[in-house]
Amino acid sequence: MPRGDTMLENRPKPTPVSAANTGGAMVRMQDVAKDFSVRGKETRALQPINLTVNRREFVSLVGPSGCGKSTALNLVAGLLTPTSGQVFYDGQLVQGLNERVGYITQKDTLLPWRTAADNIAVPLELRCRNESRKVIRERVAEMIELVGLRGFDKHYPGELSGGMRKRVALARTLIYEPETLLMDEPFGALDAQLKLLMHDQLQRLTQQRKMTVMFVTHDLAEAIALSDRVVVFSARPGRIRAEREIPLDRPRDVFKVRFADTFSRLHEELWNELKDEVVKGTDV
Amino acid sequence: MADTTGTNQASSTKILIAQVLLAVALVAFWELVGRKFGYSWTSLPSLIAVRIVEWIGTDLAHHVTVTLSEIFIGLTIGGTSGILLGLVLGRSIVLGTVFRPIIVGFYSVPIITLAPLFILWFGLDLAPKIVLVTVSAFFLLFFNTFSGVRAIDRDLILSMRIMGASSGEEFRKVIAPGAMTWIISGVKIALPYAFAAAVTGELLASRDGLGSLLAKAAAQFDMTGLYSALVVLMVMGIVTSAIAVGVERWMLRWRNATG
Repeated sequence: MPRGDTMLENRPKPTPVSAANTGGAMVRMQDVAKDFSVRGKETRALQPINLTVNRREFVSLVGPSGCGKSTALNLVAGLLTPTSGQVFYDGQLVQGLNERVGYITQKDTLLPWRTAADNIAVPLELRCRNESRKVIRERVAEMIELVGLRGFDKHYPGELSGGMRKRVALARTLIYEPETLLMDEPFGALDAQLKLLMHDQLQRLTQQRKMTVMFVTHDLAEAIALSDRVVVFSARPGRIRAEREIPLDRPRDVFKVRFADTFSRLHEELWNELKDEVVKGTDV
Repeated sequence: MADTTGTNQASSTKILIAQVLLAVALVAFWELVGRKFGYSWTSLPSLIAVRIVEWIGTDLAHHVTVTLSEIFIGLTIGGTSGILLGLVLGRSIVLGTVFRPIIVGFYSVPIITLAPLFILWFGLDLAPKIVLVTVSAFFLLFFNTFSGVRAIDRDLILSMRIMGASSGEEFRKVIAPGAMTWIISGVKIALPYAFAAAVTGELLASRDGLGSLLAKAAAQFDMTGLYSALVVLMVMGIVTSAIAVGVERWMLRWRNATG
């Protein structure tokens, strides 16, 4: 990763979603492939893929470990540049960091010297948002409530469990309501009940704020329950093996949706696609 | 949790009592052996105590002030410039690669050996000692700050940039607090070096400061004076490093939380 300071200076600042920006492709990956070189040896992480995510669409990427799902998110965030092909965001080629997305990475990037509440407040303290202290305090309190961390706001990340840190990171991203969310296994470390509660909140928030979401997960049921479309990746080097629309009505009752017939049918279909790849992925 | 804290407190009180007893025993041993076998080379704790009290009545405060102000001014100038240069070179790969080896080269000269040079340049007053402390503090804080900036997790910076942080905000919210751990430990390391630099400068040529008391006593074979100056220096060292540890605890309180 080059230190692209100068490149970043010229980037447009995040702009709010306007009424005119409705419909159409938000993210378009066109023949995008990515190779990594590890100690001089080239490894292909992603075979040329084509993937479009529409505005306000919730798309999940599922697949075996190391299939390039996270690589795809990194490409959209501008953290990586494709070896070949192009990534477009809102019609523009992604060059340098994409500041219009909110990215919840697999590893939490909380600031260890700030308490949970102060970590969640960070995005609102930035000049590009320019919120008053009072507004920040109120919104942080709401967010802490939302992710179920009441009583832990004064704790430092070092004093929180992995699942709690994950929720702080989630709150820190949701608080500034980016137009697009990139989420890399955000709920992996949570217990089953909490996961459902978070699904419910995430659905409400993304619907309410008209967000576009790219969601990486291992959990097929989670993917179906949340998404408008599920994309199954093959084992490394990743390519898209299958795509399914999820024709479940919104708003969904995330606590009950998995008992619907459509849900079990989709689950079985997608699992059949995924199964072979998981087996292949584990062999490697 | 409450149980373990309780026992910890009890055992730390016991340890403190044991330490005080040991110190008293050592001083008593020194006094007794000295009285029995003669004390012309070792002086006696009682004589030292009397001498220190005598000094307190006359000019001890003046000498302590001189030495402390040399240390304080030197640490401020040298520390600040070391931190600033460390931040700049730490942030820039190119500048860091070019200048760091040059600075390492300068640092390989033992700093105390520069004392005669500084005395020739700056005379016998405070100036040469301040310069000596400044140079010591500069190098230690430069190296610590530089490493601190380089050790910051790149993902923290990237995540701030994705949130839309400007480079100034990135610096204030990630780089500066991230390097703080290293800067504070740099100050802690620099304190004893600063003491050594100031007192060495005074030893070589000075009319004021604890080093001058030490030099005068040594020249007159005044063992009691020599030990008294050393005791005062020891107390000053203990007090300043205790203050530094307290400041560190408070500033890095988030780190005590990390297991």
